[in-house]
Amino acid sequence: MDTNTIDYKKERAGYYKVLIGLLLLTAVTFIQPHLFMTESNFLAQMLIAVLKAWMILMYYMHLKGEKLIIWMVWFALSIVLVFFIIVIGIDVANFNNAAGSYITSAPNAN
Amino acid sequence: MSHEYVPEIATDREGNEHVVQGWQGDFYGGKLGFWMFMLTEVLMFGAMFLVLAYYNTLHPQDFIDASASLNRWLGGTNTVILLVSALTMGLGLLKMRVGDVKGAKLMIWATILLAAVFLIIKGFEWTAEYNHGIFLMHDKLLVGTENSLPFGQKLFFGMYFTMTGLHGFHIIIGIGLMLWLLKRINAGKVSQDHHILYWNIALYWDIVHLIWVFVFPYFYMIGAGGVTGGH
Repeated sequence: MDTNTIDYKKERAGYYKVLIGLLLLTAVTFIQPHLFMTESNFLAQMLIAVLKAWMILMYYMHLKGEKLIIWMVWFALSIVLVFFIIVIGIDVANFNNAAGSYITSAPNAN
Repeated sequence: MSHEYVPEIATDREGNEHVVQGWQGDFYGGKLGFWMFMLTEVLMFGAMFLVLAYYNTLHPQDFIDASASLNRWLGGTNTVILLVSALTMGLGLLKMRVGDVKGAKLMIWATILLAAVFLIIKGFEWTAEYNHGIFLMHDKLLVGTENSLPFGQKLFFGMYFTMTGLHGFHIIIGIGLMLWLLKRINAGKVSQDHHILYWNIALYWDIVHLIWVFVFPYFYMIGAGGVTGGH
């Protein structure tokens, strides 16, 4: 892949457009708790973060059009999802020593 | 002393010369390898976010209360600083790819400056928290003291200092990498035709930015707007 065959002005304009998008989303991050989805603050904040992450990955990290790397990223994230969330999640949900664990048994302890 | 890039030459049995494909020349391989490294970073921070989420489910109200006590403006300023620094790093790479070495170096210095400002702000923030008795193994985070915070808040701040500290450590490493990159550019080892090192360090800076994109709302924003729990 020849990375030097580039249209400088076009790529630079792309960087600035993404910057403006990210700045706008950062502003939304600040006003969201007062403006919308106020009862689902956590969900709203994470959705905005995912949107920002997608822009960074696609445009700043040049993932757009990189089929092999995108496949690799999804594959790795799927493994993380399976092992971290499903396997460990099942384990945590069936935790048999909740009473013996300081963290789970002392929610109000100081 | 010349610092021009000199490729290694291998000669086959017939006496024909071939340029050996080193890491400088194998652009895609170098990029793919670095993406694999970055996935290990995702694994590391992913595990921490998982722990954070688990603690959050155990103590939702404590997490909101602790988050509400953080300085959102300092965190927000650092968010914008990192955002702009990702732009300067990207523009620098773009300048290198079109052969504007001086412009590329200027952009790296701008990124280093922004990274330093980020660390200084983080330092002020941590100092203020320490002065309020909130720091690892200190005053309000100790068990059984008079000012001791609720258990969930202790977990929150424990994760906060661990994750923002580890992120700050990545910023310091990034500054070191950028200084090394400047040294390589000055030595002629990184150029318009051989810029994989620059590409990968720009990717590193983007992953540092990407991690902050999730760290900031999780720690600073979940307690914003007077929410009272049940998120």
